[in-house]
Amino acid sequence: MGMAKKTKSKASRPRATEKASRNRHRSARTPAQQRIYTIPDHRLEKLSIELRQVHDGDAVRYEVSGNLSAPAPPIRDSKYLNKQQCIEIYRWMLLNRKMEAALENLYKQGKVVGGVYFGLGQEACSCASAYALKPEEWLGPMIRNQGSLLVRGFSPRDIMMQYMAKAGSPTKGRDASSHFGDIQTRNVVAPISTLGDLIPVLAGVALGARMQGRNIAVMTYIGDGGQSTGVTYEGLNFAAVQNLGLVLFVENNLWGYSTPADMQFRVEDLAERAIAYGIPGVIVDGTDACQVYDAAHEACERARRGEGPTLIEAKMMRMKGHAIHDAAEYVPKPLFEYWKKRDPIARFENYLVNVKKWLAREEHEKLIAGVDAQLEADRDFAVASPMPEPETAVGGAYCEPGCHEIKPKYGIPNVKTGKRGISRRAESAVHLK
Amino acid sequence: MPTLTYLEAIRQGIWEEMDRDPTVFCIGEDIGIYGGAFKVTDGFIDRFGPERVIDTPIAESAIVGAAFGAALTGMRPVAEFQFMDFIGCAFNQITNMVAKAHYRWGAPAPIVIRGPSGGNVHGGPFHSQNPEMYFVHAPGLKVVCPATAYDAKGLIKASIRDNNPVIFFEHKYLYRRIKEDIPADDYVVPLGKARVARSGRDLSIITYAAMVHVALEAAEQLSREGIELEVLDLRTLSPLDRDAISDTVRRTNKVLILHEDVRTGGIAGEVAAIINEEAFDSLDGPIVRLTALDTPVPFSPPQEEFFLPQVSDVVREARKLASY
Repeated sequence: MGMAKKTKSKASRPRATEKASRNRHRSARTPAQQRIYTIPDHRLEKLSIELRQVHDGDAVRYEVSGNLSAPAPPIRDSKYLNKQQCIEIYRWMLLNRKMEAALENLYKQGKVVGGVYFGLGQEACSCASAYALKPEEWLGPMIRNQGSLLVRGFSPRDIMMQYMAKAGSPTKGRDASSHFGDIQTRNVVAPISTLGDLIPVLAGVALGARMQGRNIAVMTYIGDGGQSTGVTYEGLNFAAVQNLGLVLFVENNLWGYSTPADMQFRVEDLAERAIAYGIPGVIVDGTDACQVYDAAHEACERARRGEGPTLIEAKMMRMKGHAIHDAAEYVPKPLFEYWKKRDPIARFENYLVNVKKWLAREEHEKLIAGVDAQLEADRDFAVASPMPEPETAVGGAYCEPGCHEIKPKYGIPNVKTGKRGISRRAESAVHLK
Repeated sequence: MPTLTYLEAIRQGIWEEMDRDPTVFCIGEDIGIYGGAFKVTDGFIDRFGPERVIDTPIAESAIVGAAFGAALTGMRPVAEFQFMDFIGCAFNQITNMVAKAHYRWGAPAPIVIRGPSGGNVHGGPFHSQNPEMYFVHAPGLKVVCPATAYDAKGLIKASIRDNNPVIFFEHKYLYRRIKEDIPADDYVVPLGKARVARSGRDLSIITYAAMVHVALEAAEQLSREGIELEVLDLRTLSPLDRDAISDTVRRTNKVLILHEDVRTGGIAGEVAAIINEEAFDSLDGPIVRLTALDTPVPFSPPQEEFFLPQVSDVVREARKLASY
């Protein structure tokens, strides 16, 4: 898509061969001292549609043009996932989507406090990325990554109770939506509403683990809108400079609330940003669970080898409004139709059932029935659970003696102590005296 | 007992905590080989290595975010801000990410954010500010403002050991101007406890940081006239020591609140409200505020001197109040 870009000039942008891509973040100088950077792009199709603002009578609206009738691409075979793992990811995606449908119903029944945020169309990116992490590694979800939370071990019940502000929600009623975490077992950092702030925090998690002798992968997400924030730059640059194992998914879902991606940035692909950080950048089809997993897995392996951060741009579209109140009427209908054909779950289902024949009809029906039963039980539990007592608003702003024991999670840091004693240097380094 | 400056006391406090606890580390701008803009961490990198004395890009949100992330794994980061004037760059990380973490999702954040604040050094609008009240206003944070070398060491050690985020304001005017004998053994000064810096019967001055020394000088002058001031050094602005505030008012029945921060929204308003709530019946006169002007900190020395409360201002206002 290009607001002002009339044509997609693919030829002018050098792309990597797979082999060259291994060293791609180091600039290779030609004799003419021309830098060549490469960004591996694993997609099986490239978008060739364009969005622009047009005057329509008295109103200004968005209009889309391009090859909107192109057939949806197939799912790319994973280099790493086996049959069982693919089916597991498919189940998480299904649970993700059906849980959000249940939340929509709960909202319509007046049982949700506030709004509901959806990851419709983004389930492959949430679920397959989180699936690449090990239990002892860390994840920081954004508002649409409810699938990631499920994969990390939270239940639909937890998420439903958050939306209904119940006493038994992970934040005990104190915060909403995906705004919760767990530092004990699931290793999830609770997001805040402002965008990009998780990036330095996850980098810091990797820093803490490294001081304790462990190179771990830490994963978080940012959108095409959120990546405009300053803290996104600060966090990713810090991770790059410190060579920390951050895996940053840039979920380019084409809309930041009502603002199209082209009004957020000028580069063609957000993965190009990686070049400026001096780290690898990769592009995947965010609606293809196998591509998402493979890129996440390779980035996590780099992180575990202590080779630093990776930026993965996942291309997809947000298939609902910003939240449930937003009907997304500003999105041209043909764009929805285009992306509906690229639905991550329908295509993955077709891949597993018809292409690979890994999921027989009976087994598939059983899987769906299991998801439905789980959601029904969780919904009933969440609905029946009590609201918090008013006075539970009090307390907990501070960690009081006895409420937490702070100890290193991965082991006592191995410290080296030099012989030098404490400085008695008296003069000030600055002119302010 | 070694004689240490205020700065050396802070340096020694952090040094001892890093020696004692392998989870304590320093992170900030120019703190490594250079030793920090004011040399608080001078020599730390030689002793503790670059793994524990981390120079960062000029990116305050990243410094705080990374400190918080490391804390989630059980580390105790001490983050230096080159000047506390720059803390606004990390305001969102501090007040939304860090301060709310324990209340929202039960994540303790044992981090210290420390650096030089305050004026009287002709630093101008961006190197002289007292931004403490932004953080006093954020539940979940503790705010510490030491006035003496002894307290600076004891409070930095207590802040590092605390399981909550502590914003530690070092007064740069005091860094090398005051020194005292500091016990060689390990001690902490508890957070949230004020200190009676001078006892007196006629009037209480409630203050903190560099203004403690202004109040003490005024008290010395007035003592010669037979007016005995009590000086209460708050030491910690959040949590405030409500008992110490009401106790001093009950002893002297008159109170003057003095601070270097600007007037509107300064801690004086909050202290006055506490006196109203806890010790209204003990008051024999109006609560007087003596503060900086409601302007940015001006650069030129005559302007800055006019901007800041001076000993002569305290003497004048205290004399007036004492005769009330």
